Amino acid sequence: MATLTRDQIRDLFAQEAAGRLTSLDQLLLRLETDGADADLIGSLFREVHTLKGSAAVAGLDDVSTLAHELEELMGRVRSGDTAVTPDVVDVLFAGADRLRAAISGEIPPAVEPPVVTPTVRAAERAPLPTAPPPPAAPEPAPRRPAASDGGVVMVQTERLDELVRMLGESAAAHLRVGRMLQDRFGLDPASSSEYNELSRFLNVLQDRVMRTRMVPVSTITDQLQRAVRDIARAQGKDVRWEVEGAATELDRGVLGQLSDSLLHLVRNAVDHGIEAPGTRGADKPGQATLRLHAWQLGSDVIVALTDDGRGIDTARVAEKAGRLGIDTSSMTDDEILQLIFVSGLSTTDFVTDISGRGVGLDVVKTRVEAARGRIEVRSEPGVGTEFRIVVPITLAVLRCLVVEAGGRRFALPLHRVVLSQAHDASREIQAEGRRVVWVGNEPVTVTPLADTLGLTGEPATGPIVVLTDSDRQHAFQVDRLVHQTDVVLKALSPLLPPLPAVAGAGIEPNGSIFVVLDPPGLIHRARHTTRAAMPAPVAATRALPTRHVLVVDDALTVRELQRSILERAGFGVRTAIDGRQALALLREAPADLVLTDVEMPHMDGFALTEAIRAQPALANMPVLILSSLARDEDRQRGLDVGADGYIVKASFDEAALLSAVDRLLGAVG
Amino acid sequence: MTGIQAVLLPVGAEVYALGIDWVREVVAGPEVAPLVTAPPFVVGLFNLRGQIVPLFDTAALLGVGRADPVPGAAPFAAVVETADGLAGLAASALPWRSELGAASGPSERPGTAGVHRDGDRVVVLLDPAALLTPERLRGDAREPAPSGAAPWRP
Repeated sequence: MATLTRDQIRDLFAQEAAGRLTSLDQLLLRLETDGADADLIGSLFREVHTLKGSAAVAGLDDVSTLAHELEELMGRVRSGDTAVTPDVVDVLFAGADRLRAAISGEIPPAVEPPVVTPTVRAAERAPLPTAPPPPAAPEPAPRRPAASDGGVVMVQTERLDELVRMLGESAAAHLRVGRMLQDRFGLDPASSSEYNELSRFLNVLQDRVMRTRMVPVSTITDQLQRAVRDIARAQGKDVRWEVEGAATELDRGVLGQLSDSLLHLVRNAVDHGIEAPGTRGADKPGQATLRLHAWQLGSDVIVALTDDGRGIDTARVAEKAGRLGIDTSSMTDDEILQLIFVSGLSTTDFVTDISGRGVGLDVVKTRVEAARGRIEVRSEPGVGTEFRIVVPITLAVLRCLVVEAGGRRFALPLHRVVLSQAHDASREIQAEGRRVVWVGNEPVTVTPLADTLGLTGEPATGPIVVLTDSDRQHAFQVDRLVHQTDVVLKALSPLLPPLPAVAGAGIEPNGSIFVVLDPPGLIHRARHTTRAAMPAPVAATRALPTRHVLVVDDALTVRELQRSILERAGFGVRTAIDGRQALALLREAPADLVLTDVEMPHMDGFALTEAIRAQPALANMPVLILSSLARDEDRQRGLDVGADGYIVKASFDEAALLSAVDRLLGAVG
Repeated sequence: MTGIQAVLLPVGAEVYALGIDWVREVVAGPEVAPLVTAPPFVVGLFNLRGQIVPLFDTAALLGVGRADPVPGAAPFAAVVETADGLAGLAASALPWRSELGAASGPSERPGTAGVHRDGDRVVVLLDPAALLTPERLRGDAREPAPSGAAPWRP
C-alpha cells in the first residue's frame, strides 16, 4: 500500500480537526453553562491533547504548539491549580478560535506570537474561587484512526444532490421501460417479477438517499449558542440559551439556507432585543432567555426564536417608515411591525437598532423565501419578540395526486389532500356569496382550480379535491383526476420570481414537465380571489355593540389566525401568550369570552379556566377551550375545570369556531 | 483588433447578441410547459436532459414588448449559464454565430452592453450578468422603458 503523501495526511488532519474543533466548542459551551465537572474537563483535555498529537504528525508544528498551550491550561484546570472563571473560559474559546484559524490557514501561526499563554497568565492574576479537587491522573489519549469516528464519512453536498438527480432519472427511465413493455410487447409490467423487484429496490433506494440528506437542527445550534455567548459576554448581558426540538430533522440544503438567517436573528436578539444590564423591567428575571424551538408540522419544519427582551417599538418603525414615504396611518400595529422586512427600511439607522450589524431583515426574509419558506414576527413592547420561520422539510420527493385543470396537468402534494370525490352539484350550497360543500360537518368553499390559477377555458364540472394547509380547508374543482405518483420534486430556478402557489416541478416519464402546486399558497390565492370577487358589504354586518374576545395561545400562527377570523366577524380581540398573561389582561379589563389553548408555558388552559372561575368578578365569563388534545379525558377535564366548550383543533375551522363563539355569547347575551 | 465572438438571437424584428462564452447550447423547438401565475416575461419551463430550465421572453425581459407570437412557446432557446443556474432566452428564428466589431454606441436598456453593427443590422449586445439576476427578475431592479426612447431597429 502506498504511503500517504504529506498533502493526504494534511487532508486527513483537516477532516479530523474539523470534528475535534466542533467537539471542543460544544464542550466549552457546556463548561460555561454547567460548570466544571471532572468528566467534562477530562474530555476537553483529551480533545486538545489529541489535536496536538495529530497536528505534530501532519507536520503542523505551529498548530501543535498552540494546542500545547491550550493543553497546558487545561492541565492546570484539571489539577485544580486554575479555577474555571469566565475569563479562563474566554481564553479557552479564543484559543480554540485561534486553532481553527491556524488549521484553516487563515493566519500564519509561525509568524504571530502565541496569544494563549500571556492572556492566560493575565487571567490567572485575577482572584480565583476555590479550585475543585483534582481528578485522577489522565490516561494518555489513544490515537484513533480517522475512520473509526462512528463510521462517518464526510460527503460533499454536491455528490448527494447528484445522487438524487440520478435517482430521479432512474425512476423516470424505469417508468419508460414499463410503458415500452406495455406498448411494444403487450406485457403488463406489473406481472413481471423482475420489473416489480426493480420498482421495490428503486423505492428503497429513494428512501435511503433522501435520508442521507436529512440532518438534525442541532447541526447548527452550537454555532448559534456560540454567537449568543460571545455577544452576551461582550455586552455584559446575562442570557440563557435554550433549545427545544434539536433532533428535528430537515433537508441539509434547507437547513444550510436557514443557518445564516438564524445566526442574524440570534445576534440581533442578543445585541438589540435583550436589554442592557440594569435596564430590564423589575417584573422580569435578571437573566434574559433566548429560546430556539424547532418542530415538525406535516411536511414543514417550524423554527421559532423567542426572546424576552424589550420588544420592537412599532412607533419608531412607523416614524422611520414615514420618512421613507410609507403611509402607516391606517395600518394596525401588526401591519406596521411587518414593515421591518421591507427593503430599504431595514437598512436605515433605525433598523440597525433592530437588526444590527447592518444586516437587513429584508435579506433574512429573502433567504428564507429562497428556501421556499416564510418568516413571521410578533412582538410586544416590554415582553419580547418572536420570529418564526416555516420551511419545507425537503424540496426533493413528494407523493402527489396529478389532476387536470384548464387543459393542463398539475400535481398536488398528497399530504395536503384531505379527500377527492365526484362533485354532486345538487349537494352544493351557497353561503356568503360563495359555493360551499359539506366536508364531514364542515362547510368548505369550492373554487375552480383553473380560475384560481388564472387559466381560461370551459367551466370545470369534474371532481373536487379538498386541500388543507395548517389551519384551513379549501375545495378545488378540477377537470379530472389523473393518477397518484411519486414526484422527484425539483425546485424552480432562483432566477424565477417567487410564485407562492407553485412548489416546484417534476418530469413525466415521457420527459414533459408538470407543475407541482403548493396547497397553502394555492388556498391563500383562492381565498383572496374569492373575496375580491364578492360584492362589497352594503352596511355594517354587526349592529350589536362590539363583543370582546381574549385569545390565549402560545403558538403565534394559531393566535393570529384566530384573531383574524374573529376580527373579520366583528369581534374586538386581545391576545395573550399564556394563562398568566391572560389573567393579567383580564384584571385590566374583562372580556366577553376567553378562547384558550391548553398546553402553554407558565399557566396552561386548564389552570387559567380554574383561575377565572375562582374570581367572582370573572366567574361568569364564558371560556372556550381549543386544543389539540383530543382524548375524552382531556375533554372531560376541560369541562370539570369549568370550561363552557371544548373544540379539538384537528376538527377546527372558521365556521366551527364562529358558531361556537356565537353560541356561547348568545347564551349569556 | 479581435472582435467579440457572439451568438446572434433574432427576436421579432430585432437582433440581440450574447457573448459566446455565455451560451451553453441552442435548443430548437423546446417543449415548453407554461408556468401558471408567473409574470409575462416567463415563457415557461423546458426539460434539458433532466434539468428544468426557465425560458424567458427576451423582448419582455428587456421591456420592449413580447416577441413570441404563440404564448407559452418559442421556436428556439439559447441556453445561458448564469451564476444562478441555466436560463433560456427565447429566439424567434435560428440563432447564428458571428464576430462583432467594436461597439457603435451605447445601448439604453438595463441588461444590455452596447450597440454593434453586423452588416446592415443593428445588434444589441446583452449582458447576462445584469439581465439575468434574481434581484432583477423579482422586479426589484427591473426598470420601465425610458420614455420617448424607441427600441433599436435593424
